[in-house]
Amino acid sequence: MQSPATAAAPAPAAPLHRDSEVAAEVKALFVSGKRDAARERFAELVTLLQRRAARIAYQYLRDVHDADEAVQDAFVKVFTHIATYREALPFEVWFTRILVNRCLDLQKARSRRLRWTVSPSPSAQAPTPEPAAPQQTPEERLLSSERGRRIMAAVEQLPERQRLVFTLCQIAEQSTNEVSQTLGVSEATVRVHLFRAVRKLRGLLARER
Amino acid sequence: MRKSHLSDDRLLEVCLDQASFAAEQQHLESCPACAERGTHLARMLADVTDVTVAEADAAFGADRLAKQRARILQRLELDGRSGRVITFPASHPHGPSLRARPRMRWIAGAAAAGLVIGILADHVAHVVPSRRGAPTQIALQPTGATLQAVSTSMSEEELLGLLEVAIEGTGGASLGPLDDLTPRVWEVAAQ
Repeated sequence: MQSPATAAAPAPAAPLHRDSEVAAEVKALFVSGKRDAARERFAELVTLLQRRAARIAYQYLRDVHDADEAVQDAFVKVFTHIATYREALPFEVWFTRILVNRCLDLQKARSRRLRWTVSPSPSAQAPTPEPAAPQQTPEERLLSSERGRRIMAAVEQLPERQRLVFTLCQIAEQSTNEVSQTLGVSEATVRVHLFRAVRKLRGLLARER
Repeated sequence: MRKSHLSDDRLLEVCLDQASFAAEQQHLESCPACAERGTHLARMLADVTDVTVAEADAAFGADRLAKQRARILQRLELDGRSGRVITFPASHPHGPSLRARPRMRWIAGAAAAGLVIGILADHVAHVVPSRRGAPTQIALQPTGATLQAVSTSMSEEELLGLLEVAIEGTGGASLGPLDDLTPRVWEVAAQ
C-alpha cells in the first residue's frame, strides 16, 4: 500500500537536515558579529522554508493576510533570536513552533476583533471557487472540482487543534514526534488528535458520496 | 497470517505509517478486502493533502511569496519592524502620546474619575428625593380635555387661570390630587 506521505506528493520541500545546517551557519555568523553576512545566509533559509511555512499558516488561520503576517513575523523572530537556537533540535521544529505560536497570537487577536464587529455572511467569508476555466492552474482546477470543494468543506469542519496536527503531519510532513515537540504536547496526544482528524474527515467525505 | 480483518484504527495506523507493522503488512498482502480498505483510506488522505496544499499554494502564488520574501529581508535590515503596513492616519508620528508622557495618564485618569463621580452625584441627587416623595401617584387621562398651546411668555396668573378652567371642565376629576396640592390664586395673591 502506498504511504500517504508519498502518495500526496506536494510541491518539493527542503530536506530536513539542510535547513538545520544553514541555520547553524547563520547562528555562527550572527554570534561572531557578522550580522550582514548572517542576514544574507538567512535569505537561503527563507527560501527553503517559506512555502511550507505559508501552507501551515494559511491552513491554520484561513486568511491570506494574517498568514502572510505570521510567516513574516516568524522569520524575523527566528533571525533576531538565532543565537538561542540549539543545534540538537531540528531547525524546522524550532521554526515551526515559533510560527505556530505567532499563528495562535493572531488567532486570539482576531477573535477579540470579531467580538466587536459584525461578521460577514458565510458566503462572503468563503467564496466558492469559480468553475474550471482553460487558463486555470492545476491547483485551481483541483480546488474548483466537486471533490476539491467537498474536501475543503470537510477540512474546514475540523476542530482547530485537529486541523493543526493534521496540517503539521500531512502537509508539513512532520513525524508525530516532531509535532509533539513543536506543540509542546505528548506524542500520544498528537496521535489522538491525528486519528480523530482522519476519522472525522473520512466520515464527512463518506457521507457526502 | 492473521485470520480476522484489520480494525479501522489498526488500518489507519498502518496507513499513517506510525510504526512498522510487519504482521499487518503481511495481512494486507494476503487479504484483498483489507487491502482495498487500506487503498481507499490512503487515497482519501492523499486527496485531502493535495487539496489543502493546492488551496494554500493558490493563496500564496509565486508573486506573493516573492513579495513576502523581500519584505522579510527588508524587515531584517530595519531590525525587525512590524509586518503589516499601517495606514496613514494611524501612524501619525507627531501626535500626542500618553506613553511618552506618564503624567498625562494621571490627568486623563483624574478627568475620567471626575466625570464618573459627577454623573453618580447627579443621579443620586435626582433619584433619592423622588423615592422619598413617591407615595402620591397621579394618573393623567386627557379624555375630553382640550390641549392648548401655552406660550412660554405667559404670566403666572394666566397659567394658574388656565389650570382652574381645566379643572372645572369635564374629566377634571382625575386632576383632583394635583388640584389639592396646588395653592389657589387668591391664596398666593394674599401672601
